[in-house]
Amino acid sequence: MNRPPLLSIQNLRAWYRPGKHILTDFSIEINAHEAIGLIGLNGAGKTTFLNLLSGLHPHFHADRILVDGCESTLRNPDFKLRRYTVFAEDHSFQYFTFWEYLSYVFAAYGQKIPDVSCLVEEFHFGEYTDMLLKDLSMGNQKKAFLITAFALKPELLLLDEPVNGLDFASTEYLYQLIAGYKEHGTVLFSSHILESVTLTSDRVLVLENGKIQKNFEQEEIDTAKIREALHEETHL
Amino acid sequence: MKKHIYKAFAKKLFGARYERLGKTVFTEIILFYSLHITGLQVRIAPSVLYVMTTVFTAGIMWQALSSSDHAGQLKHMLMLPFVGKEFISGYVGMLGIYTLITKTTMLWSAVFAVSDRNLPELIVSVLCALNGVFLPSLIFVLLRNMDAYRFFLPLHRVFAKPFYMGQSSGRQSPWQTVHAARLTPQKSGCAYMWKYFFRYLTAHKNYLVNTAAMCGIACVLPLLFGNTEPGFILPIGLGILSMNTPLCTLLSCDPSLNQAVRFLPGQKRLFCVSYCVFIFGVNLSVDIIFLLSLAARLGSLGMDAFLMAVFFALQGAVGSVWLEWSYPIKNWKIESDLWHHPRKYIVPAALVLIAGLLGTVPWFLYILYGILGIEILAVRCSFEG
Repeated sequence: MNRPPLLSIQNLRAWYRPGKHILTDFSIEINAHEAIGLIGLNGAGKTTFLNLLSGLHPHFHADRILVDGCESTLRNPDFKLRRYTVFAEDHSFQYFTFWEYLSYVFAAYGQKIPDVSCLVEEFHFGEYTDMLLKDLSMGNQKKAFLITAFALKPELLLLDEPVNGLDFASTEYLYQLIAGYKEHGTVLFSSHILESVTLTSDRVLVLENGKIQKNFEQEEIDTAKIREALHEETHL
Repeated sequence: MKKHIYKAFAKKLFGARYERLGKTVFTEIILFYSLHITGLQVRIAPSVLYVMTTVFTAGIMWQALSSSDHAGQLKHMLMLPFVGKEFISGYVGMLGIYTLITKTTMLWSAVFAVSDRNLPELIVSVLCALNGVFLPSLIFVLLRNMDAYRFFLPLHRVFAKPFYMGQSSGRQSPWQTVHAARLTPQKSGCAYMWKYFFRYLTAHKNYLVNTAAMCGIACVLPLLFGNTEPGFILPIGLGILSMNTPLCTLLSCDPSLNQAVRFLPGQKRLFCVSYCVFIFGVNLSVDIIFLLSLAARLGSLGMDAFLMAVFFALQGAVGSVWLEWSYPIKNWKIESDLWHHPRKYIVPAALVLIAGLLGTVPWFLYILYGILGIEILAVRCSFEG
């Protein structure tokens, strides 16, 4: 028997101001253990969608939201425990050190802290673990949140423009982590860099004006085709 | 160019369509008429009015200039080819206009509603208000040697860094830390959060000064009450001391933290309980200073006094955290808006009213304890639901 999708959302509409929809007729099925890349022009609705899945966007309506085939909400405490988000810009918990932030997040998820030394080393973050987050550069703050995310290994990992602000070596390492995440769960991430989605994803969704314009399955993922879809969007 | 700078800052402070202007005028008219129709008349000497206007305006202006809420954006704006003096005068000028229109006139609408003033007094008041804008601006700029970049950087960034660097020096290496964590039991999330609150309190001098001021007030409050009935001094004093309101706006003044605690799981329990205990601890410390001061004046105080202090500190903490979680203050333009937002004063106002009641019916405290117990149970149930 086939396992139901991890998350299924039907006919989603989201808005900031009534009457002006950011997402519209948006239906998606997210399966367990897959890597999905979201790509689209600025204002296409990528961040809104990820914020919505994080339970932060209050203005939306969906005909149905199913988690593992059962009716649920995006703010359901059980669903919260199964997902973690790294935001494009995050200035939260600025008076924690990385180490304290990691411990706090693991306490919130009720998990024991695993050995994160490999993640810390590969992200070249060793000398910053004892500094307050507010004293770190944007790239290093992003690394702190990414290390926490990949150490936590939630069933659904949401990453909003994760490569922004990262150095070259860390970006390469992040690609490896995203591509290998299927072993632990599902990763859904947005990016403006074509290479980042083609190298790592099983599925690429091209968003346009709040809708999924194209869905490229694994065998169809091709830089030229995705570029073409984005160009069509630009010329509309 | 100057016109564009003024326009940019005006839109930032008053809103894209200057909608805040209309809202402020409307609020001031309501405040003026609601006080005026009560027929209440208070005699305020002109000198008191002038000092009050100057100190109030200067205080708000200084706070607005030294707050860090716009520092990041302003730093980026300095990249643009603005003329330094025009940029600084534009920013300070608009901040001054904003302070006068949204803060000082609010004070005047209350004062003028309850005391009659003649034209010369009004003119001198306006001059005092202008003085309250110019003087702190001048001192602020002079203290920073007219250096535009440092001008916009708040003091705490300069002083807080060495403090934290000193704190982190001499610690074990990250590898030792990581491995130590696997060997030692994990601390509870609440312990981390208290550490976080303590750092936050010490890094923001406004919060620290306010808390220190409350301790000072707690010391002298029994003397200020003079020969008032002791049974009345205690609850009223505790009610007044619950006004350490800046502590109760942590989520409102940090939107990123507000976002984070809403997407992480279990935060109603982990964050809110830690926050509540932290506010309770600070409130109770101030209340104990007040009790000691009162005991020194009256001779001794019974257990009832301590129970009453616990009630006020706990009720203040529970109410403040509930309001902050359910209705965080949004859309504020400068930190001062947050500091003077009426929502902040709901809990202290309710506690002062309760204090008035307890002053006349002391046994009512036990009923209030019952109500507080029900509140805590209701909050606990809502957390679990």
